[in-house]
Order: sequence, then structure tokens, then C-alpha cells
Amino acid sequence: MKELYFAYYAVKKNIQSSAELRTSFLMNVIGMAVNNTAFIILWTFFVKSVGTIGGWTVADIIGLQGFTALSYGIVFSVAGGIRKIADSVASGAFDRFMLSPKNLLLRIAMSSFGVSALGDIVFGIICLTFYAILLHVTIYQIVIIILLVALSSVVFFSAITIIYATSFFFTDASTVTGGFFELFFTPALFHGGAFQGGMRFVFTFIIPSLLVGSIPVEIVRNMSLDKLLLIAILSVLWFTLSIFVFNRAVRRYESSNFMTFGS
Amino acid sequence: MKNNIAITVTGLTKKFSYSVKNPHSGWIKNLFAPGTKEIVAVNNISFSVKHGERIAFIGPNGAGKSTTIKMLTGILFPTSGTVSILGFDPTKDRKKLAYQIGTVFGQRSQLLPNLPLTDSLEFFGVMYDMSKQDINDRIAELVRVFELDPFLLQPVRKLSLGQRMRAEVAASLIHRPKIILLDEPTIGLDVVAKKSLRDLLLKINKEENTTIFLTSHDVGDIETLCDRTIVINHGTLIKDLPTENLAKTFVFEKYIDLIAEVRFTGFPELPLGIRYTHQDENKITVVVDINKINVQESLRKLLDLFHVEDIDVYNADLETVIRHIYERDTTGN
Repeated sequence: MKELYFAYYAVKKNIQSSAELRTSFLMNVIGMAVNNTAFIILWTFFVKSVGTIGGWTVADIIGLQGFTALSYGIVFSVAGGIRKIADSVASGAFDRFMLSPKNLLLRIAMSSFGVSALGDIVFGIICLTFYAILLHVTIYQIVIIILLVALSSVVFFSAITIIYATSFFFTDASTVTGGFFELFFTPALFHGGAFQGGMRFVFTFIIPSLLVGSIPVEIVRNMSLDKLLLIAILSVLWFTLSIFVFNRAVRRYESSNFMTFGS
Repeated sequence: MKNNIAITVTGLTKKFSYSVKNPHSGWIKNLFAPGTKEIVAVNNISFSVKHGERIAFIGPNGAGKSTTIKMLTGILFPTSGTVSILGFDPTKDRKKLAYQIGTVFGQRSQLLPNLPLTDSLEFFGVMYDMSKQDINDRIAELVRVFELDPFLLQPVRKLSLGQRMRAEVAASLIHRPKIILLDEPTIGLDVVAKKSLRDLLLKINKEENTTIFLTSHDVGDIETLCDRTIVINHGTLIKDLPTENLAKTFVFEKYIDLIAEVRFTGFPELPLGIRYTHQDENKITVVVDINKINVQESLRKLLDLFHVEDIDVYNADLETVIRHIYERDTTGN
């Protein structure tokens, strides 16, 4: 309970800290929302001109963008520190997290607030609202959508925790972790029709990209409770695995003596 | 009787390994299968520290000071050996230990850069699970002791280095730690800021019996702050003694300044046991090894060689003593 209270408090302070730099704060939020809107306008025109792609309609694409943007936004805003693990490890700034009396993963995750990710949250909410209107969803489906946002966020958090935990195994791992992240996230932005057979298996069970957006859309579209159960089980497994990997990786931390500032 | 030992270190060793290119192999082999080299940063050191002691943990750059502190605090895992701080093993009880110790790294800030200092202090209080009332009381106390009031509401990034270091130490003491470990806390500070910080640390040590364990290259920190000095070089502990005895380590060496009556015109060879350390036309400084020649005899022979207006005989200052210790350890003398 104390851990969660501190996590809440840290997020609050991080938001205050980001908001101190007002211009940068607003530019980040608005910039990211505009960027995402341009992206979905492109997809919408494309799907409208070709009808459906692999069975995916415009509404499905909007839903996919909503789920991915929201999980990305929630995780990278609240737990923005995860993205800084590579730099923290390389510079030795990770020391201060090791000196904290709190859970290490929670402490570093909540050490930074990703302001630009707020734009993704705003965009994700707008997309899912449109998606719900286009699908004429029931209350029951709305509950399922909210549950799926939570589950896809857990999967997203777990995946990036594992990705950035590799920073402890390489020197100056920013580029490597960046590459791993692209490998995970780029497939998450493509509609599920693009992945069939072996590729679908790989991007569901080996790299959990499709769990973030595609499969949630399929669950809502088909009201598939089997898949809902599957994504719930996989999110728990990925979360457990991410904590295990992170804790193992931290033991390899070797610190360094670059000058750094705290958060 | 209550255990009076705060820190026990036994056979502590830390090795790092890194990749090295084999000059006889091609770049592809070096890319996929480079050689590895191992360095021993800390080599089998043992010591203990009592509650309330003020320890200077010194050594030249790369001696293993920071690595040792990082193992004491649980940042690094030892390759071998054990550490017990207040009964905790930092490798297993990192979180429990963190509630009992404070840390300050001179080159690394722990404060929130964009927010006022008061927010950083409150942040640390919440992190250590203190109640709101306790946090407020402790902040008020630290603000008074550390004289933080003039810049309490200033964003941390706008503080001067001296103000920031005072703030860092204050933040590290928010939870009333039993031990504070400081890694070069006075680095980059001017003489006034250094004195101020030392005075504050002494005050905290006296009033709250906080054990102080610090690394520093500043002799002033060692002389004014620490009652015991541990010297480490090449990862090995080479001296562990009261600071007042450190200055006596080279008591067999006396320094003699000779001030010229007019000016010195030549610098003849000196008798056995005496050597020049400084020579110009106005002043000569020699060092006398009293194991080979006593001071009285030295003075007589020097006065035969030089016409002087004034003479000063003194022991080596602490900085010189420390430099000698490092140099002798390096050359193996």
C-alpha cells in the first residue's frame, strides 16, 4: 500500500515538474495529438478507397489506433521512467534508484512523466469514442473495451520492461533497445489481417505486439470471450516474466561515474 | 552490551571484466568473440566502523573508493566477501537498509531539478514513509540547521553548487539515518561552502550521533571532519588509523626552510639523509630523514653550507603525508 501511495505521489510530482516548463509541456501534448491525427487520417482515406483490408474496416482501424495509442500513452506517461533505463544505466544515474527504499521497478518507472504521451492518451480516447459510436456498442461492450485497455496496457508495460531491461546487458544500449522497441511496436500498429499463420503466432506469443491492438479489436468485433480469457492469461504471464527478467537484469548493473541530475 | 559496530566489511572484493580487442585477430573475430580482461577494483578489504565514528575513506583516483561505497549501499554486488551495515546485508536487504542510511554523491544529484527545494525534501519524506506531520517537522528542523530558508522555494536547477550540496545533504538526512555515506561531497565547492558543509556534518554527527563515512580528495575534509582515516590504493587497504596519527606517519621526516641572507648562489650536494625539495635563490627547502641524521646535526651542516637569514623546521603537512602514502604504495617503497 505504501509502495502504491509513493507511486501515486511520484507521478503527481512528475506532472508538476513537467508542468513547470509550460511551453514545452503544451507543445509536447498538442504536437503528439496532431501527429497521431495525421496518421489516422491517412489510414482512413486509404481504407475508404480500398474498402476493407484483410477483413478490417475503417472502424476497426480506428479501434486499433485507439487501443495502441491509449496503452502507449498510459504506460509512457505514468511510467515514463522505463524509457530512460538505458540512459540511466549508461550514465550511472540508476544508482539513485538502487538507494531508494521502494520497489526498484516501480521507482524507476515512476521517476519520469512522459508529457508527449499525454497527447497519445487524448488521441486514444477520441479514437475509442469514435470506434464505440461507429460500432453502436452496448454497455457490455464498453466494459469489455475498458477491460481490454487495461490488459493491453499491462502487456505493453511488460514488453517494454523486458526490452529496456536488456540495457543491463549491453554498454550504451539506447540504440539496441530502440530497435527492440520498434520490433515490438511497429507490428502493433498494423491491422490484424496483415498477420496470418506463423507470423500471427510469433507476434502473439513470442513478441506480444498483436495483444496490444489487433486482438482487442477482434475481441470487441466478435465478442470473443475465449480470446478475452487468452489475453488476460497472457498479460499475467508477460507481467510476471517482465518482473523476473528485470530483477535478474538489475544484478548485472555495474554503475558508472558520469555527472547526472535526479528525479 | 549493545553492539556498537555500525559497519563490518570482511574480505570484500569486486572484479569487473570488459571486452578487449585482440590485435592479432581480424575485426570480425573481434566483433563476435573479443577477448576479456578483468580488473580488480577492490581487493579483499576488511574493516569495521563504530556508531558515531567519522571515517575518511581516501585514496587516489581509481583506488576503489566509490566502488566500495557502492557495495556498502547495495548498488553493486560484491564478487566475494561480505558487508554488514546495521546488521543488514546490502545484497539481500537493500530496501530495509535504505531506510537506515543516507547517501550523498557529490557528482550526482538526487533532487527534483524543476521543482522548489521544499518539494524535493517532501518527496524524500514520502519515499521514506514518514507522516505528513513528521515530514513538516523534519523539514523545519533541517531548514534551520542547514540555513536553507533563503532558497527553499527556488527551483533546484537554479541553486548554486554550494546551496545544492547543502540541500543534497539535508535531503539525505530527512529520515534521520543512522549512517550517512558521502562520496566526494565537497567537490567543486569554494572554501566558504566547504567549511559550511563540514560544520553541518559535524553538527549532525554530534547532535544525532550519525555515523559519517566519506570519500574525499580534500585534505580539509579529512583533517576537520574525520577522526579516523582509511587509505585504499589499487583496491587494497593500506592504512587504517586515527587521523591525528596519519600526520605522524612520516614523523621521521622533518622539513627545513632556509631563507637566504642575500641570495643563494649555488646548491651543493647535501649530506646523507638530507635532500632538496625546493631550491631557488631566495629559499631552499630540504627534507631530513632523522633515521639517518638528527635535526641538530642537519642544521649544523646546513648552516656550514648556506648563509641564512631565517630557518623554519616543521613536520610534513597532511596533504604531503597522504601524497607520500600514495606514492610509496605505487612504487612499492
